[in-house]
Amino acid sequence: MIWQSIFAASPSPTPTVPGAGIFSTSLLLSITVWVPVVVAIAIATMPNPRGRYDTLMKQIAFFTTLGLMFVLGIAYNQFQSFLPTLQYEEKVPWLQAVGAVYHLGVDGPGMTMLILSGGIGIVSVLASLGIRERVRSYFCLLLLAQASVNGAIVARDMFVLILFWGAAAVPLALLILGWGGQRRHQAAWRLLGYWGLGTGALIVGTMVLYAAAGRGSFDMDVLLKATLSPRVQLAVGILMIVAAATRLPLFPLHGWARDAYSEAPVGVTVIVAGSASRLGGYLLLRTLVAAEPAAAHLLAPLLAAVAALTVGYGALIALRHHDIRQTSAYLALIPGGVTVLALAALQPLSIAGAVLSLFAGGLAAALIVSVSATLSERAQSRSLHVLAGLAPRMPILTWLMVIAGLAVLGVPLLATFTSDLLTFFGSFKTQPVGAFAVAAGLGLGAIALASLWRRVLFSAPNPDAPGVSDASLGETWYLGLLAGGLLWVGLFPSGPKLPGTDSPLFDQGLVNVLSAGISDIASPYVLPAPGASQ
Amino acid sequence: MVAAAVLVLLAGRLGWLLPGARRSLPAIVATVTLVALGIELWAGATLTTSFEGGLVQDRFALFAKAAVLLTATIAFAVVDWTAEDSVTIGLAMPLLATFGVMVAASAGDLVALWAGLEVAAGAAVVMVALRRPDLALRLLITGGLASALLLIGLAFLYASAGTSSLATMRAVLFSGAPTIALAIPVFLALSGLAVRAALAPFQLASIPASLGASPLGAGLVLGLVAAAAAIVAFKLVGVLTPIPAVYSTYLEVIAAFAMVGGGAAALASHSPRVRLAYLAAGQIGWVAAGFVTHYRSGLAGSLFLLGAFAVAATCGPAVMGRAEGGEHALAGMGVLRPARAAGLALAMLSLAGAPPLAGFFGEFAVAASLAQSGHFALLALGVLGAALSLAAVAGTLRVMYIQSPLDEARRTTRLPVVSGLSSFGVVAFCVVIAVYGIFSSPILGLADQGAEALGLR
Repeated sequence: MIWQSIFAASPSPTPTVPGAGIFSTSLLLSITVWVPVVVAIAIATMPNPRGRYDTLMKQIAFFTTLGLMFVLGIAYNQFQSFLPTLQYEEKVPWLQAVGAVYHLGVDGPGMTMLILSGGIGIVSVLASLGIRERVRSYFCLLLLAQASVNGAIVARDMFVLILFWGAAAVPLALLILGWGGQRRHQAAWRLLGYWGLGTGALIVGTMVLYAAAGRGSFDMDVLLKATLSPRVQLAVGILMIVAAATRLPLFPLHGWARDAYSEAPVGVTVIVAGSASRLGGYLLLRTLVAAEPAAAHLLAPLLAAVAALTVGYGALIALRHHDIRQTSAYLALIPGGVTVLALAALQPLSIAGAVLSLFAGGLAAALIVSVSATLSERAQSRSLHVLAGLAPRMPILTWLMVIAGLAVLGVPLLATFTSDLLTFFGSFKTQPVGAFAVAAGLGLGAIALASLWRRVLFSAPNPDAPGVSDASLGETWYLGLLAGGLLWVGLFPSGPKLPGTDSPLFDQGLVNVLSAGISDIASPYVLPAPGASQ
Repeated sequence: MVAAAVLVLLAGRLGWLLPGARRSLPAIVATVTLVALGIELWAGATLTTSFEGGLVQDRFALFAKAAVLLTATIAFAVVDWTAEDSVTIGLAMPLLATFGVMVAASAGDLVALWAGLEVAAGAAVVMVALRRPDLALRLLITGGLASALLLIGLAFLYASAGTSSLATMRAVLFSGAPTIALAIPVFLALSGLAVRAALAPFQLASIPASLGASPLGAGLVLGLVAAAAAIVAFKLVGVLTPIPAVYSTYLEVIAAFAMVGGGAAALASHSPRVRLAYLAAGQIGWVAAGFVTHYRSGLAGSLFLLGAFAVAATCGPAVMGRAEGGEHALAGMGVLRPARAAGLALAMLSLAGAPPLAGFFGEFAVAASLAQSGHFALLALGVLGAALSLAAVAGTLRVMYIQSPLDEARRTTRLPVVSGLSSFGVVAFCVVIAVYGIFSSPILGLADQGAEALGLR
């Protein structure tokens, strides 16, 4: 009966506009969630005598993520960026007794996150093509992780959100446990512990909301629009910050990040740093900024302080570390701090910056941790005492390392520049101290990066170091895709236009897409114009 | 059920069975319970009473009986019968335990309630005695103590209300007040039930006994007997809801202990059988937490969870097969016995409350009602317990799926023998655990009607 109703579900009504409906299905978001699950089950049950079909399994996983990205690309192109409402909505009654609904939908921020997750999915599979052991289990878990991330992005019911939010931890922890480096046990248990704590906080926060709203529903349309007392909002807000801080990660709940980023295989690092961890910022946007304005106002200074501490701490520790993967892991904390500063500012401009920062920061964090992992593999060492003067012998990885560092700092021409610009323009008005502290942290990050580049890339070569080789074609592809994404959005944030016109060429522009719905989210924080009350 | 059990026992005892028939006996018995499940679902929707109100067929009975018959069917199918001590007794005792649970579920008075639980518990003692008479004796003595506590409590209740009929007792208590004289017998009765249900910290005998028993015996102790105790508790709570003050605090404490203690003990242990037992103790704590709400939605959530618990806790040890000793017994099971490994993983994850499996949906339903009734501390402890349980399960999953299989020479325990029936059973078990939650709307609806049948609003 449930399947019947799922298949009979109709999309949300969208106005008839030229070009609309070329590609429309009521199941679009379900496809993004359930197709990887179905493929994972298919891979799990495929006969594979003595690993004969390992390559086929890799190809299936790759084409699944590619197909999903194709579907998402069309959905992105069809997305009505001028509509503030949910699009591609699916709503089917599910657990009526507790008030849970199978409700999926995306607005601008959701679409942006989905595109990020789709791209990261392809990159993570490409980065995993070198896996030789237990190929079946690896790709099953990778697809399940991607499905969980997609599910958490499109969920419009807190029950569904908790379901996918919690489910993401298990496959990722198992991937680290099974295919990680020497300290994989510590990495996996820490990830599971911190993410488990975050899931617990999310569940308790949701239950408090559920009880306080008193409407017997977990639907975000009901739960997040209920009028709550500031005390309840504050309690829920703190719990949501804890949940988000364990995922993004933010100081002081970042304990899993160093080990997970430095011990996980490259493909898993990409998905954890690129999309799974960004869910933390997305949760804050949905449940705190968009839903609890009173708590958001009260907690904004705390958020700004956490952002500053995260950026500063990440940069400082990166300066002191002597392991390239751990140094990159700490540098990868910086984009998350910038995202949270943007959310703390509570300005329409900075909220748009936060969404773009989720996208660009995800790509930047994924790029820096994956390029460091690749470099350390190719140079056969992780120690900064050994790695030296690699630029002449690793030109491709040198370029990518430099782009990754610049992306973390947010320099012009890269997507992070646009997001940082929006963030700082918005936050200097409302959180000047926090913004200054984050800017100072970015300065420290620049010093850490400069020190890293000088030692690893541009110093005199170490004659005692093991032999090195540059990135292979496959590695160049996946790292290049991440760098290309950062450059594309950095160069064309509003999409490329037909020469001499304002008409989009084929991409309507990520900034245009993500701003759909931002006005609604930011409406409680917009000051009335002088004289508007008259 | 009783006829089938007696027939199987006699056939085994008197040598009526040919070797071929002995091999197909589990399939026959599984078919019988499946047919009984079909009859229950078809005919059980009609409300009836029999034995002058001693047995009642209502929605609660329908839900509980359907759940226990489904559990028995899957358990018979999934067991590796080469790991059992006796095929005939191994079939007869679970049939008797199923009958006991069904009697308790249909009980209209205190006598039937107590008798049903004792039949189920007695069958479990016999199963344990086949392998470990010492543990069976321990289980018998502790069970006797639990039974005495329950009997004393029920006798006081009978004396207070002047009737043994549950419906009449409830009507009498509506006009009563929560007094100490009433709280003491309720405390005794619930203590007895907690021992029977292996609720932490009361796992004096049930958990050790389950560790020494055969796989199906362990499932019987951890799953069916605990389910029988929970069903008796449901009926008692249904009677006592007019005066929740006499049981709420006590239940809160034991639920909190079970949820957190079960998760912590599961995390601390390194034996898969012990871990499964503590996971079951943790989840039965969630069932008890639902009683605390004394609302229909809370008890409906608990009943829904009880269905998921019964299947996972009874069939989990049977899916695991021989896995005595440390975790290394399961090393590489994901490669060597992929279907069994998947079944065991789903059983453990469901007992730990991992999304999106049956246990998660049940625990979430209970959690929602705890939030609605303002029991946030209990809810937070439950979430903590679930997190500990999940961490424990991750350890077992790592061994099964990520560790390489042991050499045959180093393997101390044989992996389960795969047969057509057991493969089918494992697939059926996986399907039930996976779809119980996804198709939970009608099941939860029936559980809601079951809670309503107990007189809750």
